[in-house]
Amino acid sequence: MHEMSLMASIFDILTRHLEDYPGVTVKKVTLRIGSLTNAVPEALEFCFSAFAQGTVVEGAQLEIIQVPIKIKCRECQQESEPVEFHFRCPGCGSLAVDVTQGRELALESMEVE
Amino acid sequence: MEIAIKTNVLATNDQLAAQNKDIFHRAGITALNIMGSPGAGKTTLLERTLERLKGQLRVGVIEGDIYTAKDAERIEAHGVPVYQINTGGACHLDAQMVQKALPHFNLAQLDLMVIENVGNLVCPVEFSLGEEYKVVVLSIIEGDDKPLKYPLIFKESTAAVLNKMDLLDFCDVNLVNLKRDILSINPEIKIFEVSSRQQTGLEQWVEWLHTIGKKSG
Repeated sequence: MHEMSLMASIFDILTRHLEDYPGVTVKKVTLRIGSLTNAVPEALEFCFSAFAQGTVVEGAQLEIIQVPIKIKCRECQQESEPVEFHFRCPGCGSLAVDVTQGRELALESMEVE
Repeated sequence: MEIAIKTNVLATNDQLAAQNKDIFHRAGITALNIMGSPGAGKTTLLERTLERLKGQLRVGVIEGDIYTAKDAERIEAHGVPVYQINTGGACHLDAQMVQKALPHFNLAQLDLMVIENVGNLVCPVEFSLGEEYKVVVLSIIEGDDKPLKYPLIFKESTAAVLNKMDLLDFCDVNLVNLKRDILSINPEIKIFEVSSRQQTGLEQWVEWLHTIGKKSG
């Protein structure tokens, strides 16, 4: 349940940004979560409600944008989405691939009123 | 009004990890982050490893545990400097905890710092500690489905130690499939098949530690 730690960091960042907007309430918070991370959306939602309680974020919607895994072949440069975590280029069969997407754990934006 | 933030949630941890990495680098220390399920045999592997490295590599150990000092006491019996971090409920170590542990060591006197993470196959891998290498310890009795169920830890690790090989005949584990799945997730990973209890297969693992321990030392 490391989502609690992740959410603590998210609220640290939110609080820093909210200092520039006194008096607002937060309506929506958007996260970008890569499919290769171990962050579980349901756990994030649970932790979000817990942290939001009694703050200007209470009642806000949590939007989670899931980012699929993408790999790029070092040999033929082809980009693809791996099937079942098989990190192999579907074009040339090479195992020399780099993950270009899917490790995101980002606080994207917030909507305030 | 929508406000763009676009900030990595782990930015603060990554920043502290970079500082730790710098501290290790300047002291000429290679740092390992050893991860794996509770009961995979991380501490026993470490004990057998310390016996073999004695007098050859100077090792320090940081033990991560939720509440107890049981593992640190086992390590201390081998006469190496050890510091216990109790996370007080948290399921993983983070860079700040490790940074606070470092002043308890005489870093100039060490070649290798082994950080044994909290027993958990999921959470620790998300938090960089400033280590140079991540190592995953999987006991084969946990099942050959584990790599595909927990791919990130195998993707991010430089080495996988398959422990409890002496129990292979007593469980329904297909070793060929297990290794195939690990390599499909991470083709460059080094796999060591060991039994810490029977003390088999440890030579290659220890040899690898010698290679990485001397590189920066």
